[in-house]
Amino acid sequence: MLRAALRQALILLAIALLPAMVSGAIQLKWHHEEPLAPDEVRAATAAEWGTDVIFVDARPKTRFDAGHIDGAILLNNEDWETLSPKFLDVWDPDKKTVVYCDGGSCDASREVAERLKREFQIKNVYVLKGGWPAWQSR
Amino acid sequence: MLMRTIFAASLLLAFASAGFADLHWDKPIQEFKCTPDDKHAEAHYTFKNTGTTAVTIKSVKTSCGCTTAHLDKKVYQPGETGEVVATYSFHGATGSLRKLVTVESDDHPSEPTILDLRVFVHEPFELKPALVYWRTGDAAEAKSVQLLANGYAVKIKNVSSSNPRISATLQTLKPGEEYLVSVKPTDTTQKEAAEISVLTDFPPESPRVYTIHARIK
Repeated sequence: MLRAALRQALILLAIALLPAMVSGAIQLKWHHEEPLAPDEVRAATAAEWGTDVIFVDARPKTRFDAGHIDGAILLNNEDWETLSPKFLDVWDPDKKTVVYCDGGSCDASREVAERLKREFQIKNVYVLKGGWPAWQSR
Repeated sequence: MLMRTIFAASLLLAFASAGFADLHWDKPIQEFKCTPDDKHAEAHYTFKNTGTTAVTIKSVKTSCGCTTAHLDKKVYQPGETGEVVATYSFHGATGSLRKLVTVESDDHPSEPTILDLRVFVHEPFELKPALVYWRTGDAAEAKSVQLLANGYAVKIKNVSSSNPRISATLQTLKPGEEYLVSVKPTDTTQKEAAEISVLTDFPPESPRVYTIHARIK
């Protein structure tokens, strides 16, 4: 009698465990995000900022031409002298500036963001976490 | 029982006699000190296959379009040496810069080797800041840009504005070392833009021109 009850309890536990594990895995996947550096912003947050943001594409022109965030300005280290005046024409001191590149190990966005802060002393400059791929898949 | 023991021992022997592959990198972290006129830094990452079987390098990836990495061939026999040549073009960027090259090989497929290229680009002349701006309706007051030479005697030969409605005046604080440029708009009633060119005498063979950007927003 006791053995039967124990077996039933184990079966019930096993049945309950399966959906719990699935749910746990999903939760873990959804909530496991890399922490942000102080000047980084996630794509979802940048999208919420709407028109209060100017996007800067720090990739080479060929990559920019292949696809970019709507309204983004091309500004990279390679053509800084010619591109920076165009960026400054569009730049607005009352808006946030979000710089992006190809995500992953790409660090062009960080370099351009640092340069904007150091050379032009522009405030509210952010680096888009995950770059262009993160923006596309948001 | 005896058969099982023989089988296990055979397996153990098979694994023990199997070859292994291992790439040993001499200096995976390399540092360079440059000036903006150097334009690029080149690092040679040498390696040796210290294992007993051939190693295949599957990929060499750089962290940006400004860095290239070259490898002569993909397969390296035991005892053979090779090198990855990484070239980073810093395109006027200054300060501490860092580029990574990721090398994937079949000796440690799950743990790619990261080659680290660190460059410090010394800027011989600094503009603090390189941008001055006013909002429309602001008082049309002059804004100052400090020009500082770092370690070299730099003279300013000329300062000129691309927009007659935004003027620039040069003041020498310490000849060869420190200058001040005052930028002043005629008024701030409308949006304006000016690029102010600062012509220096440095380096003598190819004097550089620096730009102060002025905007009325």
